[in-house]
Amino acid sequence: MVGKAEPVNGSVKPGSSQSIPAAMQGPLKKPDLIPNLSLKTLKLKTKQQELLIRVSILCLVYVLAFITRLFSVLRYESMIHEFDPYFNYRTTLFLTEKGFYEFWNWFDSESWYPLGRIIGGTLYPGLMVTAAIIYWLLRFLRFAIHIREVCVLTAPFFASNTTLVAYFFGKEVWDSGAGLVAAALIAICPGYISRSVAGSYDNEGVAIFALLLTFYLFVKAVNTGSLAWALASAFGYFYMVSAWGGYVFIINLIPLYVLVLLITGRYSVRLYVAYNSMYVLGMLLAMQIRFVGFQHVQSGEHMAAMGVFFLLQVFFFLDWVKHLLSDTKLFQAFLRITVTTAIGVGAIALGVGTASGYISPWTGRFYSLLDPTYAKDHIPIIASVSEHQPTAWSSFMFDFHILLFLFPAGLYFCFKRLTDATIFIVMYGLTSMYFAGVMVRLILVATPAVCLISAIAVSATIKNLTLVARAKNKVTQTGSARGSSSSKGSSKASLDQSQPFQRNGAIALLFGAFYLLSKYATHCTWVTSEAYSSPSIVLAARGAHGNRVIFDDYREAYFWLRKNTPPDAKVMSWWDYGYQITAMGNRTVIVDNNTWNNTHIATVGRAMSSYENEAYEIMRSLDVDYVLVVFGGVTGYSSDDINKFLWMVRIGGGVFPVIKEPDYLVNGEYRVDKGAAPKMLNCLMYKLSYYRFGELTTEYGKPPGYDRARGVEIGNKDIKLEYLEEAFTTSNWIVRIYKVKPPNNRW
Amino acid sequence: MRSKPETQSHTAATEPLSSTSMDPIFPLLRILPFGFLRPPKLRLKLPTLTLPSPMTVYALVLLTYFMVVSGIVYDVIVEPPGIGSTQDRATGSVRPVVFLPGRVNGQYIVEGLSSGFMFVLGGVGVVLMDLALDRNRAKSVKVSYATAGIASVVIAYVMSMLFIRIKIPAYLR
Repeated sequence: MVGKAEPVNGSVKPGSSQSIPAAMQGPLKKPDLIPNLSLKTLKLKTKQQELLIRVSILCLVYVLAFITRLFSVLRYESMIHEFDPYFNYRTTLFLTEKGFYEFWNWFDSESWYPLGRIIGGTLYPGLMVTAAIIYWLLRFLRFAIHIREVCVLTAPFFASNTTLVAYFFGKEVWDSGAGLVAAALIAICPGYISRSVAGSYDNEGVAIFALLLTFYLFVKAVNTGSLAWALASAFGYFYMVSAWGGYVFIINLIPLYVLVLLITGRYSVRLYVAYNSMYVLGMLLAMQIRFVGFQHVQSGEHMAAMGVFFLLQVFFFLDWVKHLLSDTKLFQAFLRITVTTAIGVGAIALGVGTASGYISPWTGRFYSLLDPTYAKDHIPIIASVSEHQPTAWSSFMFDFHILLFLFPAGLYFCFKRLTDATIFIVMYGLTSMYFAGVMVRLILVATPAVCLISAIAVSATIKNLTLVARAKNKVTQTGSARGSSSSKGSSKASLDQSQPFQRNGAIALLFGAFYLLSKYATHCTWVTSEAYSSPSIVLAARGAHGNRVIFDDYREAYFWLRKNTPPDAKVMSWWDYGYQITAMGNRTVIVDNNTWNNTHIATVGRAMSSYENEAYEIMRSLDVDYVLVVFGGVTGYSSDDINKFLWMVRIGGGVFPVIKEPDYLVNGEYRVDKGAAPKMLNCLMYKLSYYRFGELTTEYGKPPGYDRARGVEIGNKDIKLEYLEEAFTTSNWIVRIYKVKPPNNRW
Repeated sequence: MRSKPETQSHTAATEPLSSTSMDPIFPLLRILPFGFLRPPKLRLKLPTLTLPSPMTVYALVLLTYFMVVSGIVYDVIVEPPGIGSTQDRATGSVRPVVFLPGRVNGQYIVEGLSSGFMFVLGGVGVVLMDLALDRNRAKSVKVSYATAGIASVVIAYVMSMLFIRIKIPAYLR
């Protein structure tokens, strides 16, 4: 090797390894070989370098999306959060223990006593089946893992997968740079993190992945016109239907998109193939889910898809006739008649269907998206959920930060370069932003669109800036081929005299863009850590000396229920806690979070807001053994039952007119102190919350019976319970359980 | 298929008006009301609907975005006051409060509109920067676009940060 050093150097690389002087080849044989080899192996071609960069970025983004969601697991423990995930956990447990057949035909008598609930037919099984499959897969590989760990970590896993789908989607809509930025943005965007932290085992964690996958496959099908992609998108749609009730968004957005394409004159056979295959197969697959049933042909919310399906057939027919006819005038006449007839027949069919009742009208949940004032006036249960409130600007800012600036800019770039794919992403962005404005919870659905469009803005802007920054001095060179070819016909050639100024300006702007994006990352991490990582079942507060105090009262109470009550005891509480009581306390409840029976909930609401003797009658009729209330007066916890009490009154009053809301208010104001309404001071909820509270001193310097959540001293301190007795109060008085006494003996 | 050219020649001879009509009801209409009624000679033209240009649509979209992001749905449903007020305890004078304190998901009307304006300003700034780079315009116009764009983005970002810090005092701490 020593003798052949020069020819070896010369043949392999003409210019690179000149750093090794030929004179030093002799004594330094071995060290020379190593730099030679490393330089040779590291010198990749540009395409390979690009591939390496892309793959490493995607790997890092994948890992980042997973680990940023683990705050609560590290701070507390690996447990399920909130209320709804407990139901999902219970059903997944049932599925893994009893098998799919039992799960699909399950009738649960432990909730909604005495009605029971057909669980197999009233849930979306996608999430449970997904978690069960992952569990069985891990078990098959001999990882002895508990199903709870799988449930807790399902959402972050699917969030990581969503970033991959976002990359491919961005690549389809714009280019691979935009795809990479989209993946990075969506990995940490707080709008998505809020519903997919570790522990939030809810439908949305899986559904957003399914949504983006369906959209990506459909756009790919429209772009390529291939039957395979269209059928794949139908299967993606099936997964979405099995996962979340929000599939209605897909089945309305895609027909709307097809309609916009038709109006803008972009009809093509690709669109025809894509939509038809996806609609027909998707509809047939969606009917396999019992909860959805025949809604695709019977419900008003799904009629748009059917209408567009028939319209597309008309378009294809007209195209075929035009192709056969040679006379344009005749064809115009034929066109007018056919379109009029088609629309007329469609309208008549829709009218007949709606009038005869076969096509059901829009359900309240979705109708309130079109007319936001509807829920407030007509359906108090929908209006009472805090996630269903309309969105204020600060919620947008909290969940999106920089993306709110980049969204209009991205829309501009999309409008500049209109293709089938960019029209889709624009429509997705606009409709989802409108719905996000109507309901806070739907910021989640808007997040992928906002991230993708902002990624387009970021990618296009940075590309422009780097082109300016990299523009070499090409005043004398005719080799400006690189400059003109990369600028895509737009002339940046006139930069001659102010060249260094332009370059410095572009570099400064690049630093500015980098600064903004790093502030975005800081914001997202802060929001995730402070706001979205609390398992609502465990509360934390700052103690007097700044140390963290943990309140684990909920689980304490449910465990007490599980161990100290008879197995067939029935527990009455407000519907918020139903799922948790059934899952952790393992006892039958009267109402739970499913809220499918408004009258039953109104009965419980009536019981809570009546005097003790009337409530006792209702409780005897429902076979209630225990009553559970949540009280935040000692800890200052503000989401307790006294603060929710007015909703109990409204919902109860909606069905039983004997409950009137003004009875509980004083001058329209809701008070619990001495000046409160007498009905309020003696109703069951008040008594159960404040029993024995009048003797307790909660804060230094305040009188006994000072309610820290409302900030007042309570009005009625001397409470005597006649028909109930106190069974258990947790250590911080957050959950209080009372036993219903059996009726007195007659003599 | 073959009969169509024949009918065309028939109807073309008898129809001095617009295009040939395959409408089956038209001959009946010619007899029944219009046998004795004479329609006046109007010079009406059906308005031709043309699709608006993409940039027009973009302008409308920007306006809608401004309204949605300012929380107009929240304003319509919850009906908050335009601007809040508190009473100074010592002097008894009523001071205006611009930002609704205490909650993330609550606003007064004016604070929503001003924040929405800042967001749109930031977006327009990025658009102006792109216009400055990518057009074959006069140099002075490009420079003014670039400065306006950069200034807009900087102002919008700084103001938005200020707003959110006022609204949520514990922000980033």
